[in-house]
Amino acid sequence: MILQAFLIAMVVLWLFPLFWAVYASLRPYGDTVVHGYLSWPANGLSFINYQNVWTQGEIPYYYLNTLVIVVPGVILTLLLASMVAFCCTQFSWRFNLIVLMLFTAGNLLPPQVIIVPLYWIYLHTPIPMLGSIDIGTKFSFAIFSDNNLLYDQYIGIILIHVVFQTGFATFVLSNYMKTITKEITESALVDGANVLRIWWSVVLPLCRPALAAMATLLFTFMYNDFFWALILLSHGDKRPITTALNNLQGEFLINNNLIAAGALLACLPPIIVYILLQKHFVAGLTLGSTKG
Amino acid sequence: MGDSREAKRVQNLLALQDEALRLNPNLTRRDVLKIAGYGSLAAFIAACGGGATNTPTGITATGGTMSLGSYNTDPGSKAGTQAIVDAFTSANGGTKVKLNTVDHGTFQNTISQYLQGTPEDAFTWFSGHRMRFFAAKGLATPIDDVWSAVKSNYTSGFEASIKGNDGKAYAIPTDYYPWAVFYRKDVWAAKGYNVPKNWDDLKALCAKMKSDGLIPIAFADKDGWPAQGTFDILNLRLNGYDFHVNLLTGQNGQKWTDPKVTAVFKKWSEITQYYSPAFAGLTWEKGADQLLRKQAGMYLLGLFVSDEFKASGSQADVDQLDFFAFPHVGSSFDAEEALDAPIDVYMLTAKSPTLQNDLGQAKAFLEFVSKGSTQVTYWKNAPGSIPTANDADTSQYPALTKKAVQIVSGAKKITQYFDRDSRPDFAGPNGMQGFLLKFLSNPSQDTTNLQKDMQNFWDSLPPE
Repeated sequence: MILQAFLIAMVVLWLFPLFWAVYASLRPYGDTVVHGYLSWPANGLSFINYQNVWTQGEIPYYYLNTLVIVVPGVILTLLLASMVAFCCTQFSWRFNLIVLMLFTAGNLLPPQVIIVPLYWIYLHTPIPMLGSIDIGTKFSFAIFSDNNLLYDQYIGIILIHVVFQTGFATFVLSNYMKTITKEITESALVDGANVLRIWWSVVLPLCRPALAAMATLLFTFMYNDFFWALILLSHGDKRPITTALNNLQGEFLINNNLIAAGALLACLPPIIVYILLQKHFVAGLTLGSTKG
Repeated sequence: MGDSREAKRVQNLLALQDEALRLNPNLTRRDVLKIAGYGSLAAFIAACGGGATNTPTGITATGGTMSLGSYNTDPGSKAGTQAIVDAFTSANGGTKVKLNTVDHGTFQNTISQYLQGTPEDAFTWFSGHRMRFFAAKGLATPIDDVWSAVKSNYTSGFEASIKGNDGKAYAIPTDYYPWAVFYRKDVWAAKGYNVPKNWDDLKALCAKMKSDGLIPIAFADKDGWPAQGTFDILNLRLNGYDFHVNLLTGQNGQKWTDPKVTAVFKKWSEITQYYSPAFAGLTWEKGADQLLRKQAGMYLLGLFVSDEFKASGSQADVDQLDFFAFPHVGSSFDAEEALDAPIDVYMLTAKSPTLQNDLGQAKAFLEFVSKGSTQVTYWKNAPGSIPTANDADTSQYPALTKKAVQIVSGAKKITQYFDRDSRPDFAGPNGMQGFLLKFLSNPSQDTTNLQKDMQNFWDSLPPE
């Protein structure tokens, strides 16, 4: 009984901020100005904030920005991390433990500490301009750069995500790959498969559950990023949705109801991904927690 | 007179063609013809205009492209920026303007890396120390040629605000807003309050409001910067403009431990008892709400307080808003009638990869935004910002804006606000924002140690 009461209290405590955000987002700003936040809506609730965020805040466009950063980011990370994990677990060579430790240790580095050198690297790394893919009138994905630099480019954001997420993905995937018995790869070797073929046709299919779990996790990690896009993009219209929420603030006036609506809309995709891939998400939590 | 002006215009156009040729030696013969064509087109358009504007044409180029970095993200100011960009394109031979809009907070916080990275040709910024700082670092391009072409359209106060430490012009001021004491006309009429003329009147009024059940002075300092407005005006009234500027920039050996600063805090402590309860947790919008809901009697803030009134959606409330200049305190500096009136400007970057190509167009843009007609176009979208040009058409201003113009033009000295006049690291949360909150948590304290902390913090900052 006490346990139930405690659990209910905790649920209320955790859900309250979310409820408050939903409530604020449904109230027109004028209503809260006149009556305060701690009041019942005088003129009823409305979806006006959502409407404004969708049209003035151009939320759909920023979803697209996030998509072009996160999808290649997740795919590249999984490819690279599975290669490293494959080499370190399926082959015995002198440095495999050291390499694995290197990747795992990189995981512990707080990203903020390298921001100044990273900024200068991005400003001085030439990237070719090979045209662009245009979607609609506003969106344009440059291949690979529209200013000959890594700075202020989608590709730059994708790369830094790949760099920072590869460590964690390698750690998890290598633990999973250790459970694949050597006999399988050895028999593939006997059948004449080369190393790349073993990786692609034998090990990767066996790792499908791990890859699915990692993809779910990596999607949320990259989706949630606020920092890199803020520092490494100078164009407001290249931002992913999380950073773009800042665009809803003016010079002086901050309409918190509008921002609540925007934040809730920005929350939706990870929640949908979580609901759809719940199974993998839970699997991901325990993945690699036991060896062999 | 009209003829001589025409002649000057044509001369200027010829000069601009020379400039364009000199800047880009790789022009082909066809390009030269094109530029000449644009030039004569501009001359033709100017001639058709019949000299309606009194801003002379300058060292500029038409057609082509340029880029603009803008921090205007409020719905109104965003639309206003787009409107003047569109007007510029059609007025300047179809110059294509690439507009990059970044929200105000992020733009300010990342300005340093923005200007050192790959910035646009022109950008929106503030005058005051914040402008001089980046000019001195070589991150802005001087625009003396543009300024000398347009300066007849500005008062000398504006001219002083856009000069760098080296005496060169770096910016075109486009709009400003004053800080004053706001109140509701209906509340004051109902209670029979009068505008206080001096410090004692103000205190008596506060006491009366308190007994009437009002919060005498709305005060909201969650974000740290609003308190600096009160410091500014008290320091200006008590110690004068020169002392204030020296103090905020550390020039002429001015120290925070000066007894004159102590006097400011002493004076301030006389009215803090009339402030909103729990002000350290209130944003400025909450303070404005107290005024709007008739809970508070006065509010010392910028003209942007009217934004919150407008956001309430009730025009009746907006119409009740009025203000007066901060009362005199009985010092010899009262006569300066000084006040904070931050000025927003347009500047040219230095490190833009395209600036060399677009310099003529970018200068044409700066010249375009110096026109009263352009500024009025912007003001119609963003009414909180008042045009700076002498030739701006003031006939459409509402009463509140007219009054704002009046008190600013009556001021002998104008400051830009604490965080624009001092170095950013000193004005910020670790510096004066924090120190002022510390003072306000116990206003009757002996401020000697606090002032020592301020000076120590100033001394600990690296050279700019």
